[in-house]
Amino acid sequence: MSGDHIHPEPTSFLKKHVFSVDHKVIAKQFLWFGLIWLLVGGVMAMMIRWQLANPGSPVPVIGGLLFPRTGGVIDPASYNMLFTMHGTIMIFLGLTPVLIGAFGNWCIPLMIGARDMIFPLLNMLSFWTVALGGAVGFYSLFVPLGATEAGWTGYPTLSTTVGTQGDGETLWAVAVFLIGASSIMGGINYITTIIRLRAPGMKWSDMPLTVWGLFFTAVLNVLFLPVIGSAMLLLIMDRVFGTSFYVPASIMSGASGGDPILYQHLFWIFGHPEVYILILPAWGIVADLLSFFARKPAFGYKVTVGAMFAVTVLSAVVYGHHMFTTGMYAMLGESFMLLTMIISVPGEILFFNWLHTIWRGSLRLTTSMLFALGVIFVFGLGGLTGLYLATISTDIFLHDTYFVVGHFHLTMAASALFGAFGATYFFFPKMFGRMMSEKLGKLHFWLTIVPLTVVFCTMFISGYGGMPRRYYDHTSADYLVPLQHLNTITTHSAFLLGAAQLIFAWNFIRSRWWGPKASDNPWEVGTLDWQMPTPVPHYNFKEIPVVKTGPHEFSHPKLGDRDWIPQTEELPA
Amino acid sequence: MTTLAMDTPREDPRSRANATLGMIFFIGSWSMAFGTLFLSFLILRERVGTWPPPGIVLPSFPMATVATLVLLGSSVAVHAAVKRGRADAGGFAGLWALGTVLGVAFAALQSWLWFDLLAAGSGPQAGTYESLFFGLTWVHAAHVVVALLALLWIQLGIRTGRYGAHRISTVQNTAMFWHFMDVVWVVLYLGFFVF
Repeated sequence: MSGDHIHPEPTSFLKKHVFSVDHKVIAKQFLWFGLIWLLVGGVMAMMIRWQLANPGSPVPVIGGLLFPRTGGVIDPASYNMLFTMHGTIMIFLGLTPVLIGAFGNWCIPLMIGARDMIFPLLNMLSFWTVALGGAVGFYSLFVPLGATEAGWTGYPTLSTTVGTQGDGETLWAVAVFLIGASSIMGGINYITTIIRLRAPGMKWSDMPLTVWGLFFTAVLNVLFLPVIGSAMLLLIMDRVFGTSFYVPASIMSGASGGDPILYQHLFWIFGHPEVYILILPAWGIVADLLSFFARKPAFGYKVTVGAMFAVTVLSAVVYGHHMFTTGMYAMLGESFMLLTMIISVPGEILFFNWLHTIWRGSLRLTTSMLFALGVIFVFGLGGLTGLYLATISTDIFLHDTYFVVGHFHLTMAASALFGAFGATYFFFPKMFGRMMSEKLGKLHFWLTIVPLTVVFCTMFISGYGGMPRRYYDHTSADYLVPLQHLNTITTHSAFLLGAAQLIFAWNFIRSRWWGPKASDNPWEVGTLDWQMPTPVPHYNFKEIPVVKTGPHEFSHPKLGDRDWIPQTEELPA
Repeated sequence: MTTLAMDTPREDPRSRANATLGMIFFIGSWSMAFGTLFLSFLILRERVGTWPPPGIVLPSFPMATVATLVLLGSSVAVHAAVKRGRADAGGFAGLWALGTVLGVAFAALQSWLWFDLLAAGSGPQAGTYESLFFGLTWVHAAHVVVALLALLWIQLGIRTGRYGAHRISTVQNTAMFWHFMDVVWVVLYLGFFVF
């Protein structure tokens, strides 16, 4: 275990950078892995938007290369594959590795004062399992009949052999299974590390909120990824061995049969917590960043933790709101509606605490602070529109429209992504020893938040107008033709949004190798990770630090000329 | 013990507790995985109505009962072995070997149950009951195979002195996982053969 067996620093390239058990190296592996997949998923989104604005016209530049048989036009099957793989890649291979894999691995040991994760070998296995999952998913694009077309939710009977032929869907299920297994390994590591390896003096209430967010995420990962794992196993058996878990009786032999709704239950028992798996780390990071850059203690620290805990618990009991249109028993539907509404209570508490944290603070509007504020904004938009989807009567009208697409992109995609960006700009100096360009960062922020708001808010309007999800060519329906200009606005904004991410990519790569050298504590914060030299030495701490204060002691009147204090120092009496 | 044991440093009790805690969380996670399968079992069973569906070939009840007893016996042997091992008392290797042999016997009986059904013309594609029986026991058996490899690995480790009172946490965790396999099987047995 870490701390007990100190091994010398590995010298061979393979052990140091590839099969490393060092949490810092694994964090960087996850970061690069996730960023590359975000790029792939982003390009897919651009192609989906192209088709929606210009149905049936060839995709410029890359069209001829990707769809040679149709002369660059996205054919219906490819369109289905694009939106399916876009969702799968963004959630499982983009956001999860960056937010949880990279920043979980980076922050937890450094912020709680540990030399490494508690199970370093399991940590390495977690990365290589997700890498294998990614490889399987990528490979599925090249099998005969291509990748799966069943949507990222993979509903039967569409996802069984009745609806989807070929190996694409099976490989998709295998990939999701592997990625889930990886998340479970990571989750167990995070939970055990946080429980067992906190530095002496670090009480639960001395942990940065980033660690709390990651802790709750890890709990949800450990509890609910197994559910999707089992659901995927049953789907694989239905496809490969001809079992009938999900295939209804009338289609198969007729003797007795499975239940496609069973899959929806299993999928959403996992799927709703998954939303919070992605957003809780972002919330934790945001709560810390707001305090760090407002130079004020995080308002209501314990209440924030309590609210995050409440969201964690509630996330497990609201999944039915994804299934209001399945003909659910009315009383059950109303229970799910009520429970879903209740989530807005801890949600509001978090918002209140965040706003109170920055209220009358000495704001330092760094790029990471801007992204933290951006999370408040986009999650606000997404959260408020969620109320319409939680209400059965409006949900039945809005179900499977672009209203839903706009809602979940603002909540689980944009908010999580903004959290990831904020964290990247913030932790970059400690991770890579160099500063990212603030000028490019701010440009990136403004060119992201403005088009992003337009993209998803326009989707609310077109969705309310009846624009359904996943239609290949909506202009073939007369009533949707008047909505075309909205789709064009969305697409143009989306292209601007996509182009703005190139600024980030350039900033990241340029700063990684050629950025100005970072000092040890450029943001002047007190958490343990920033008290260490940069680059962080092998095994982090020569001496395990003793924690004496909380993570957010800013602008304390007795501090004198400096407005922050390291967690290793005692507040002056 | 052997010389190798002398070279291996005694486990730090703190790291032993860490490993146990990690294993408990793993088993919690696995419980959710098997719980999901069992939930599917209950829902589909409800959907089918008459249970077991009339006119189908059922797996052999006596053989499944023997398999259950064998697996329970294996668990008891492994439990006793860990107790001896922790106390550095005699019989550690012998009891562990007995547990492993009974585990292999369970796997053989489980295979017999499958092949007996296949020989009678049944199979995973025959219907919901068969889907559930084959599907759920497959997942369980896949874990049992890995667990048996771990039991075997520890058996070899006890022989070379790698495992013993000085280094028990891997042994304890493997035993814990093996008991968990036992519990899952008992739940499946109750679901398919008793209720």
